[in-house]
Amino acid sequence: MNELSFFERIEMNFIKDDRWLYIWDGFCLTLKITIIATLIGLAIGVTIAVIKTTYANNHGKKCVSVWQTFGQMLLSFFNGVCNIYLTVIRGTPTVVQLLIIYYVIFASVKIDKTLVAIIAFGINGGAYVAEIVRSGIMSVDKGQMEAGRSLGFGYFATMRHIVLPQAFKNILPALGNEFITLLKETSVSGYIALEDLTKGADIIRSLTYDPFMPLLTMALIYLITVMFITLVLNFIERKLRAHDR
Amino acid sequence: MVIAIIGPSGSGKSTFLRCLNLLEEPNGGSIFFDGQDITKASDINIYRRKMGMVFQHFNLFPHMSIMKNLTLAPIKLLGKSKKDAEKKAMLLLEKVGLADRAESYPNQLSGGQKQRIAIVRSLCMEPEVMLFDEPTSALDPEMVGEVLGVMKELAKEKMTMIVVTHEMGFAREVADRVIFMEAGKIAEQGSPEKIFNNPESERLKKFLSMVLG
Repeated sequence: MNELSFFERIEMNFIKDDRWLYIWDGFCLTLKITIIATLIGLAIGVTIAVIKTTYANNHGKKCVSVWQTFGQMLLSFFNGVCNIYLTVIRGTPTVVQLLIIYYVIFASVKIDKTLVAIIAFGINGGAYVAEIVRSGIMSVDKGQMEAGRSLGFGYFATMRHIVLPQAFKNILPALGNEFITLLKETSVSGYIALEDLTKGADIIRSLTYDPFMPLLTMALIYLITVMFITLVLNFIERKLRAHDR
Repeated sequence: MVIAIIGPSGSGKSTFLRCLNLLEEPNGGSIFFDGQDITKASDINIYRRKMGMVFQHFNLFPHMSIMKNLTLAPIKLLGKSKKDAEKKAMLLLEKVGLADRAESYPNQLSGGQKQRIAIVRSLCMEPEVMLFDEPTSALDPEMVGEVLGVMKELAKEKMTMIVVTHEMGFAREVADRVIFMEAGKIAEQGSPEKIFNNPESERLKKFLSMVLG
């Protein structure tokens, strides 16, 4: 091994038998899982955050009609479900969740492994995004909700048009952080035999017995991707803050 | 009809005003608007559309341009076309002298300008009554005049207004009826002449001597 020159090692690790494809295909899979899981996480997160804030603002209020009593009971129920979800997801490791979802929940169903990973990471991310969005909603001045309501907007319409857009601006750095975390967390996808970037590089290592090149290349790809995401996020943040001065 | 609500801080003026459109939930009693008791209404949003409210801290939407601030509710709630809503908004902006700021954002305006925009935002909904919650309390002294000017203009146009205020001059000049609140209750009310020139209760006399000096 030691006699091989630098270029011979590149040839052996990446060019021979098109081994670079392990890295490239793995990278594409990693991105696919991360991006779709983030979108799922966002949807779950916003829903939970709105439920929890609504519950916090409304429970204990007196009800004028039967509908309001029913609404409050429904809200309490959903709030309870959200709390269980947050506790379980934040209280167990991501790999454990991934394994349970694949081997236990989808045990008897024939299902695409990529889809399993997307669902698992989406559900996992949702729990963290929920708390981020909730803090964002709380960071918006109470007067904004009042102004919206005083114009005649309903609670959820005010949330959608007035509170959430401002909340998102405040939490963008934290959301970006979560996106980056998720990107790196997907490196455990190999546990359910998915060939993501990490697994791809590891396969090359096991073929060539030369860990340096594939592993360092993989690390560099993660690093550059994260740096690129950071750059994009900073750009968006600057755009959103343009009117703040 | 212009009703001014005066009184020491903590006397419940703002709470009373905020109960009128149920931003604050009253513990008891009834509020009649267009013959309907709104504390029993199934959908309060319908009534709030006809009751404009102006806040002490303006509460403009900072993520929208002034024009967006003004047209959001008319478009979404009254079903107006964008063109109609903007036309109406522009007309009102010209009236308060801020037509050139239509494309600005709230944070680019002074306090007095923000409050005038907040008044216009309520007016764009064509309300039947306007509630003002200490509209000039958060303003620099030199900006108070421009906001009061707009309010006087509104009063002249026979808008029904309920104003919580510390501006005694405004209350005396513009109000048809003045309510003095003390410790959560209406302690005295009547015409501005009666309240300011012939106050009955000791508490009101003391309050007036403090604020009028």
